[in-house]
Parts: sequence; structure tokens; C-alpha cells
Amino acid sequence: MTNTNEFINQLASKLGRATPTETPNYVASNVPQYRLSNPKERASIFLDNWQALGGKGAIVESLEDTVQCLRGWFGDLLAAWPNKPQAIIAWDLLPTVAEYAFKALEWPLVRYTQAAQTAVDRYSLAALAELGVTGADRGIALSGTLVINSHPQRGRAISLLPPRHLTFIEASKLRDNLFEVLEELASLGIPPSAIEMISGPSRTSDIEMDLSIGVHGPIEVYVVVIDD
Amino acid sequence: MTMYNPTIDQRVDEALANDFLRLATRRATDRLRNNKYKATAELGDWEKWRQAGETIRTHVVANLDFYLQQLIGQIEKQGGHVHLAKTPADAIAIVRKIVADNNSKNVIKSKSMISEEIHLNHALEEDGSTVIETDLGEYIIQIAGEPPSHIIVPAMHKTRQQVADLFEPIAGHVLSSDTPTLTRFVRLQMRERFLQGDIGITGCNFAVANTGSIVMVTNEGNGRMVSTLPRVQITLMGMERIVPSFRELDVMLNLLARSATGQRLSSYTSILTPPKRASEADGPEEFHLVILDHNRSEILGDQTFRPALNCIRCGACFNVCPVYRQIGGHAYGSVYAGPIGSVITPLLEKDWKTWGHLPYFSSLCGACSEACPVRIPLHDLLVKLRARKTLSGHTPQIEQQIFKTYRYFFTHEKILRRALRLGSRLQWPLVRNGRISGGPPPLSNWTKSRTLPKVATKSFMQMWSELNP
Amino acid sequence: MKVSLFATCLANALYPEMVLTMAKILKHLGQTVDVPEGQACCGQIAFNSGYFDDAREVARTLIDSFEHSEVVVGPSGSCIAMIHEYYPTLFENEPAYLEKANELIQKSYEFTQFVVDVLKKPDLGASYSAKATYHPSCHATRLLKIGDAPLTLLQHVKGLELVPLPEAQLCCGFGGTFSVKMPKISEAMVAEKAQHVLDSGADLLLGMDMGCLMNISGYLEKIHKPVKTMHIIQLLGEGMRS
Ligand code: SF4
Repeated sequence: MTNTNEFINQLASKLGRATPTETPNYVASNVPQYRLSNPKERASIFLDNWQALGGKGAIVESLEDTVQCLRGWFGDLLAAWPNKPQAIIAWDLLPTVAEYAFKALEWPLVRYTQAAQTAVDRYSLAALAELGVTGADRGIALSGTLVINSHPQRGRAISLLPPRHLTFIEASKLRDNLFEVLEELASLGIPPSAIEMISGPSRTSDIEMDLSIGVHGPIEVYVVVIDD
Repeated sequence: MTMYNPTIDQRVDEALANDFLRLATRRATDRLRNNKYKATAELGDWEKWRQAGETIRTHVVANLDFYLQQLIGQIEKQGGHVHLAKTPADAIAIVRKIVADNNSKNVIKSKSMISEEIHLNHALEEDGSTVIETDLGEYIIQIAGEPPSHIIVPAMHKTRQQVADLFEPIAGHVLSSDTPTLTRFVRLQMRERFLQGDIGITGCNFAVANTGSIVMVTNEGNGRMVSTLPRVQITLMGMERIVPSFRELDVMLNLLARSATGQRLSSYTSILTPPKRASEADGPEEFHLVILDHNRSEILGDQTFRPALNCIRCGACFNVCPVYRQIGGHAYGSVYAGPIGSVITPLLEKDWKTWGHLPYFSSLCGACSEACPVRIPLHDLLVKLRARKTLSGHTPQIEQQIFKTYRYFFTHEKILRRALRLGSRLQWPLVRNGRISGGPPPLSNWTKSRTLPKVATKSFMQMWSELNP
Repeated sequence: MKVSLFATCLANALYPEMVLTMAKILKHLGQTVDVPEGQACCGQIAFNSGYFDDAREVARTLIDSFEHSEVVVGPSGSCIAMIHEYYPTLFENEPAYLEKANELIQKSYEFTQFVVDVLKKPDLGASYSAKATYHPSCHATRLLKIGDAPLTLLQHVKGLELVPLPEAQLCCGFGGTFSVKMPKISEAMVAEKAQHVLDSGADLLLGMDMGCLMNISGYLEKIHKPVKTMHIIQLLGEGMRS
């Protein structure tokens, strides 16, 4: 409604000067950052923090580990899922270990972006699925956080609509703190349309401050840390 | 919308008589405060983080014109639309038009304090759209037709039974009032809404100037739904809610999550740079950012109150405020309650008649300023607002007279001495057993609930000069 | 040192004996004590109500009366905090008085702060047997940041058992004019504070600001659950006599 120049000029006049033409500088104050000493520690602390938030997780060192882990988590469930062929919805391409593991288990994966023509149909499929499977671009040890960037071969709804979300992340993608992750993201230039930072399952304490899991997003969240 | 518009006194009386409200408020704020305490203690030097937060916010606000311009440029370059609203009415008109242009019937919303500030839902409903709040707390108060009672926990004042009662007509059957049942009901109920939503309206915790991104912090995942599924996304933001780049987000997100709920990061922190890229499967095709002024530029131009624009809406000041603790949010009468609400409401609304009571909703104990992650001197600003009100002649005549009298006596100590001596002689009708336990107004405001010691026969000054002639 | 006492308006009118005790303690600690005439009030009551012009004149009177003092000590963290925190604001447009205000800030202390931090006398050799709890007043703690000075003095009192006050950090609801301007909210606040005092199980309530103590004890008396209440100065005074 209001013209941009008019709006900005009015602010400049309130500030009593002309609008700067260069990015204004300031002296940032330093803050103490959380640091870990080695990758092993990073992976195990990431996992601890993820579990403390209510997520399930494991560190795997081989394909066998991975297969065993997935069978342990979902084997019994899978048998009970009514719509088996459509039950697991996934990125177009998962980390290699994940691809092999699902192949070995002979669990069919629905590739999200190819599953339907329209967005609405894809959302419906995702909403009907039992499990969404994704990778992650980064992880944060201190807060037990997964960082997932949007991309044409990855649906955003996979980590959102199904009641369960499973993520594979290479240990080398874990960072100590948010600061490091943001530095790396900043270096990307134009950011992807969505960077989702996920720390545990969906939660709310809106009714009498009583913690309740899974009001809108995934109820169960799983992470497999691939020791690379 | 409730048409009931009680006076301040009535609102305070109602709040004080509402035992559940007071218990719930204490319980919730104690919990949030303790969680915050733990989450901030582990950071090592919390004061350094606060300092860094204050530095960033002060810098942004002092260069708001530059950063807004940069933000607008970035968003437009990426194909988003920016709308600037001087007033709440402008903002409503903008959103209405977007909704009408898209022929939207199902608007889904995640939490936005700006939408509360401009009273958006009502306007859209009048146009025949279905507007649904998807944050559980916001959904509860939307059904109840009430404003939020806490900036982070909007339905803090509702019992689970009240929530069950509110949900029952929608469910069409009796609901048990345990939390899992209630949240499951909302999950199922909302699923359809999310999938049908054609416009998503979100709030914005931070906007990143140099990338044109908006950052949204939620726990339930509804914010992600609203910004992922509908074809059109509208984001509402107050014009001060900016950070220069990703780099500053580290400090700001840590301060926000830890101060608001005591989390290291909230369950979902979304950094969105819409609209979706052509090749991407999910995300809004159309993106509108509505930036609201609503007298924020007046605050910007006022050196005294400019720090109020540093607020990151974490709610930490609510959780330590002894006044909020007793009366909850509704007694304030304003959309923003608590210490920060008492500061910004009179400034945003510019109406001493309606909002002139707010700066006095504080004993000036300073707990709010101590808690604020960006070091806003809230209690100082409250006093300065009182001074503004006094200076503009909006305080009662009698009060002005009282302080003139006070000034006279307390700048003339010898006369004060005599006055105290006289007072100690004249007070006898009020004194019982050496205490005063009743009296005329305004003394009665004290003596209704407390006794008062009597004025000493000899003031200290007199006593001393007699001892040391 | 030559210590000038700032009696404070409330103690001057209602608790003169307490101020006299403060003088005696300071003398006992080897200080020379005087009480400059003309002093009356720090001006907080008007300042906090938004009457800055009235507050400024009262503050000016106070500054003038202590102009030639070496050190100024008062029995209230709130009044001293007023000087330290807000005199610069009051006189921001008056360079001459701003300078005088800053001088006063440099040389003024709350009593416990002065005894513990300046005189370095944490142990006054007092003894007093009681089970006591301590309310850390907001302005002394948050504005003046006197820290543990009052507790340090109390911990050295022989026979005194200190029990924690639940939610001690909560304001008692006094807030000067707040207590009469928002009486119902103030009452709700003091009611909770009083309950915490009762819950502490103490039979003596201690503090270092008479305003807060007057508020809490006044409420306890009104609900017929009186708890003996003393300013730290009063306790030390009695404890040192024995
Ligand atoms: S004023 Fe400070 S404490 Fe209060 S909501 Fe804003 S940022 Fe949080």
C-alpha cells in the first residue's frame, strides 16, 4: 500500500540521517561457544541429546548394523501396516547405506516426488504413509538437531506429515553448535527455499503446561548416525 | 469477539477472584522460569550472550531503514511480494485483498502476534473465509473468543476440562479431558484443514535482511505445515523484527529458545526463503510479506523508548513479573500483556485514556529487566512512560497536588520536622496499640490489608539535633 | 572516616530508633558520624510516580545537604539505588548538578554494603538467638547489586539460625506508591510473600529495607499471624548490646 521509498525515508527521518548506502558495520560481542574435541564424542553427544528430546537413535558402522537397527525399530510394525506398499515414503535418493539397507530388507520405498502429479495428491500420500525417510545436511550436537535443506529431489512434507520420521546422517556432517552450521549455511549464497532444523518430535505444552508429543508433526522420530 | 468491556478495576478483581487462573499462572511461569534458568546457566556466560543480543538488536534498530530496504530488495528479487502497512487497517486490507485475489476459502494460520495486534481473524471471517488457528493454544482461545493470556502459552488460563468443553461441540461427542485425548483430537481435526488450506498465514520471529529469509520458531510443527502445504504463504511481521545475516541468528535463536521455553532450540526452527523454486515439489508458489509499522516508527524516533523495539517476544519478562503472576494476562486488557506489553501498548496505541493504566502495573522491582535476554531496561521504561503521561497532563489533578505538596515539605526539612511533630500528635484517633489500622483514602488503600506503624513522637532528625545540640 | 547518615524519609518519620542504632553501630566501628541538616528524601516516591520535576527538586535538596560529606550511608538499598540509578537521568540537562550527583553516587552506600565491602567488618560480634529468614529487597539486590553483604553480616551473628525464604526473589508488593495506586494487586503480592514467610517456619523476618518489612509485617499483623520483624540494623543493635 505504502510506497517503499516513502516508508524507508520516513524511517530515515525518524533516525535523523540519510539511509546508509553500504551495509553498516558494528562490533559484534563474542560469546563462549560449546566445543567438543573429536568426532566420536560429537556423534555420541548428538545421540544423547536427540534421545533426551524423545527421539530414538543409533550409531551404525556397517550395512549389517543398519539392517538390524531398522528391523528392530520397524520390523514388527511393518507387518501390521495395512497399506504396506505405500507405507514408507522417501527422498528420491537416500544416503548409500540407507538405500542398500532398504534393498536388503526388501521394504518398498515410495519416492515422494515421483509418487503423484499434483502437490495435493503428494500431500495426501505423505499423510497416509506410516514412515517418512530422509537424509540430513547437517546435525548439531549440542541441541540434538537435524538440519535439512530443501531440494528438488526431496519433499519437505516427508519429514512432516507421516507419524514417524527416520533420518540418516553421516557422522561427518555433525557440528558442535548452531554457530558453525549457520556459518556454513551463510557460505551457500542464496539459501534453499527451506532449511528445516528439527530437534525431536512435535511437542506442545499448551494445555495446563502438560507436555504432549505429536500434536501436528511426527510423533516418533528416529535417527541413524552413519559412522563414516 | 467478546463485547464485554470491563474497567481495569473489574478486570483485576475478576483475575484475583479466579483461583484456577492464578494457580495456573504461577505454575506455568515458575516452570518456564526454571527451565530458562537451566538452559541459560549451561551456556557458560549468559551475560555475554545477553550483551551480544543487545548489541545486535540495537544495531539493527538503529539501521532499520537500511536493513528493511535490503530485505525488501532480496525478497522481491526472489519473486516474493512485499507489502508495507502503516496501520493495522492497512495490514488488514492487504491480507483481505490477497485472500480475495486467490479466491481463498480456507485460511490456515500459525502463531502470529501481529495478527492479534491487528485483529485479523475477525476481518477475514467477515469476508466469508474460514480462518483457523493451528497452534493448539491459539486454537483454544480462538474457539473461546478470547485474546492470548501469555505471549508463549496463549491458553495458559484454561483448564483441561474447559478445553474439553470447548472441543466437544466440534467433535460432536463427549471428550475425556486428559491431555493425550485432547491433542489427538486436535491432530485429527487439523489434518484435514492443513491439507485443504489454500492460504497459510504465519508469523515471523526474525527476517534475515541479506538473504530475504524469514525464520519461524515453533514446537508443534504447525508452522511448517502452514508454510509448506498451501499454495500461497502470507507472513506478517512487525517492521523491527530483523537480523542482518545468518551469522546473527546464532545469538538470537539461542536467546529466544532458551528464554522462552528453556529449550536449546525449539523443536522446529525453519529458515524459509520462499517462494519455492520451480523445480521443487513442496512449498508455496506465491509469497507475500506484510510489514507492519503501527507507530513503531514513532518509537524509533524517540530515543527514550527506542530500546523497546529490541524485544524478541520471548516472554521471559512475563515469567518473572510478580504482577503478571497474580493477575495473568487478561487483566491488562491489551493484546501484549506482561512488562513488555505495559511498555509497548501505550506507545503503539497512543491512547492514554484506554491504556494509561498499564505503566502502573508494576512495582518496579526490576525482575523483568534482569530477565530480558536483550537487556531492555523495562522497569525504567515504565517509569519514563509514567513521566510522559504526567507531563502530558493525563494524571489526576489530586495526584499532581499531592506531589506538589510532597515537594514542598521534602525540600524544607525544618518545616517537615514540624509537620511530623504535628502529625504525631494528630494521629491519635487512628492509632490502636501503637499501630494504625484504618483511615481515610488514600491511606485506606494501605490499611485495608495492612497495618501501619504510627508516626514517631520524635522524628530522627529532631531526635539527633536534640542529642547533638 | 567521617560518615554522614542519610536517615531516609520513611525511617526518619516512622523508625527513628533504627537510624539511631545505625549511628551507634558505625561509631562503635570507629567512624565519626554526623547527620547533615536539610536532608529529607531521595525523591523516589515522586520519580517512580512519573513526577520527575518534583523528584528533581527533592533530589537537589538531598545533594546539597551532603555536598561536604566524605561518605554517605543509609539504611535502605532502595533509596541509595535511587541515587545511583536515576540521579543521572534527573540531572541529564544540568551539567553542574549532574557533576554533584555523580559525586554523591561515588560516596554513598547502603549500610550493609558499607560495613561489609568498605569497612570489611563482616563480624560485628553480635549474638541473637532466633530462627530467622531473610527477604532480599528488590532494589538493593537488582539495582544496587549489594549481593550477599546482608547475609554475610547475618551469618556472623551467633545463635542466629537462618532458614531459606521460599521464592525469596519475588517482590513483596510494596513498590512505594504502587501499594496505594494498585492496592489489590499489591495485596495479592504481599499475601503470597507473607505465606512464604510463614512457610519458612522462621519466627523472625529480617531485611534491609524498612519499606518492604513494613509492608510484609503490616499484612501479617492484619491477618493475625504476626511474625516478629526486624531490620538487620535493629538485630545487630540488639545483638551487639548483649
Ligand atoms: S521484553 Fe525482553 S524479556 Fe520481555 S518478551 Fe521482550 S525480549 Fe523477552
